Amino acid sequence: MDARLRRVNKEISDCKNDKSSNISIDLVDNSPFHLIGEFDGPEGTPYEGGHFKVDIIIPESYPFQPVKMKFITKVYHPNVSSASGAICLDILKDAWSPVLTLKSTLISLQSLLCSPEPRDPQDAEVAKHYMTSKSSFEETARYWTQAYAGGSGKEVRGKGRADGPRDEIAMAGLERAHVEKFQAMGFDRTKVIDVLRRLNYRGANVAQINDDKVVDELIKS
Amino acid sequence: MKVHVKNWHAIAQWRWDTGASDADDDGEGDVCGICRVPYEGCCPSCKMPGDDCPLIWGECSHVFHMHCLLQWIGTAASKQQCPMDRRPWVTAERKVAKQGR
Ligand SMILES: [Zn+2]
Ligand SMILES: [Zn+2]
Ligand SMILES: [Zn+2]
Repeated sequence: MDARLRRVNKEISDCKNDKSSNISIDLVDNSPFHLIGEFDGPEGTPYEGGHFKVDIIIPESYPFQPVKMKFITKVYHPNVSSASGAICLDILKDAWSPVLTLKSTLISLQSLLCSPEPRDPQDAEVAKHYMTSKSSFEETARYWTQAYAGGSGKEVRGKGRADGPRDEIAMAGLERAHVEKFQAMGFDRTKVIDVLRRLNYRGANVAQINDDKVVDELIKS
Repeated sequence: MKVHVKNWHAIAQWRWDTGASDADDDGEGDVCGICRVPYEGCCPSCKMPGDDCPLIWGECSHVFHMHCLLQWIGTAASKQQCPMDRRPWVTAERKVAKQGR
């Protein structure tokens, strides 16, 4: 039997037999080379209470080439693309080793959620948010967990429940008052949210960005 | 009563002496970390275990099927590092297998 197939089958069954790790790996279709991994968000992080799914592709030369993984569940995190779910993690790139397994790699993703590395970002806007105001970043990450990962989001205050329509302002990690201020000047709400997010209009940055700059950007957009 | 042994089947078991302590702490036992097949089995490109598919020891004390390790070291991605500790791979002098397990 093909070495890659044998190893992957063994990894899948090892993971099924291990109930302690709370990590699951399942087939997407009939191929053992396209899988879905799932794990819970780590406790004590904005991802707590969420359940995260990861798309897994086993390359032809596995385990000599790294497995390809990206988040299916949307995640607000400096090292995960908020649009595509692409992940920036060294072991998925040049620090891969053939002794790593699907399970150990998923555990590494879980710990990436505990320890963001904003200096090596996958999503530059999210990384800026993180560095400008960690508390505002965490509130947004919690909101995303609640909205997309089925988290209870009990700590998200005053932002509405995920079962209602999603709050675009909370999604973007902005303050309602800021958005409303520019909306009152006659700009479209979606545009305002888009521009303020791009300008990283948060925390101490707000004082640095004057209104003319924002209006300029709104007119250009 | 006299018992005459008419014939008998010898059953022998062999193991590579990997110098590792009995059970690994991860409970995976003595498997090659690269192909996940026991050391006593052969690597995926061989048919017969044993001398045709030997083990290789690094000076860092890590052990693999020789064929598995050489395949890894042959990739650019390996940077010629041990898969376990990412130190430059240096093959240790073949240890003489000692009995006494
Ligand atoms: Zn091997
Ligand atoms: Zn071999
Ligand atoms: Zn080593």
